Amino acid sequence: MIFITGPLYSGKKEYACRLLGCSREELGAHALWDVQERAKNCADLPALADELARHEVVIATEVGGGVVPVDPDERAAREAAGRLSCLLAQKAERVVRVLCGLPMVLK
Amino acid sequence: MFTLVVGGAASGKSEYAEGLVLASPHRPRYYIATMEPFDEEGKARVEKHRRMRADKEFETVECYFNLPSVRLPRRGTVLLECIGNLAANELYSPNGAGSMAGALSAITGGVDVLLAQCADLVVVSNEVFTGGTDYADGTEDYLRLVAGVNRALAQRADRVCEVVCGLPRYYKEAAG
Repeated sequence: MIFITGPLYSGKKEYACRLLGCSREELGAHALWDVQERAKNCADLPALADELARHEVVIATEVGGGVVPVDPDERAAREAAGRLSCLLAQKAERVVRVLCGLPMVLK
Repeated sequence: MFTLVVGGAASGKSEYAEGLVLASPHRPRYYIATMEPFDEEGKARVEKHRRMRADKEFETVECYFNLPSVRLPRRGTVLLECIGNLAANELYSPNGAGSMAGALSAITGGVDVLLAQCADLVVVSNEVFTGGTDYADGTEDYLRLVAGVNRALAQRADRVCEVVCGLPRYYKEAAG
């Protein structure tokens, strides 16, 4: 599994298409994106990471960079999203961060 | 040489960008100022920065919107700071482009116009995209615009770096 992360609107899906040699319409057959949203209210993050890691490419948006949210649910969701990304990065053969459309290999 | 420098608030991106300009042999040095001073505090801030840059032999060119209208007298080195201000001015100022598409083309087209008039260009932009999406209405448009400009400029640029704690990490480096 290749894990792609990066800020919002940084060109992660476009990079995944280039990597896989597929169109945006075909991307769904190979990749999952916005997986940070699946971390919300997830009772078992390691199990979720195991399940996601079966895909060829997994994409998550970095959401932990702002001020700690006042709302407890938002706070918990952001925490879970960050932890899920760490688990995915551990499982991945390769980790790439995309910034301004440009990839940097982190692992 | 066109360098795009991105970074978060107080990441040291401005100082790093200024260092790149000072290292360029091409003179004069132009600073494209994008922050419109609305009150006394803003005016004092602009005046302070103008004095600091005068010591470093920068000529300040004010441009709050419509970047393609900028004309530079000589081919030197240009520091454009920053895309976040220009994007806000183009979207929200009565004199700005008003629309997302208009703002995007005003800014990216403006950078093309600057590139044609200088030897070295350094553009500073903001990394504001890792704080989630839980913002007031309208902020989403602003984020999409700045991100769109960043991606478009990163494609054009010879070098792209993110500054973290004053240290540059290069995502794209000039060949050779």
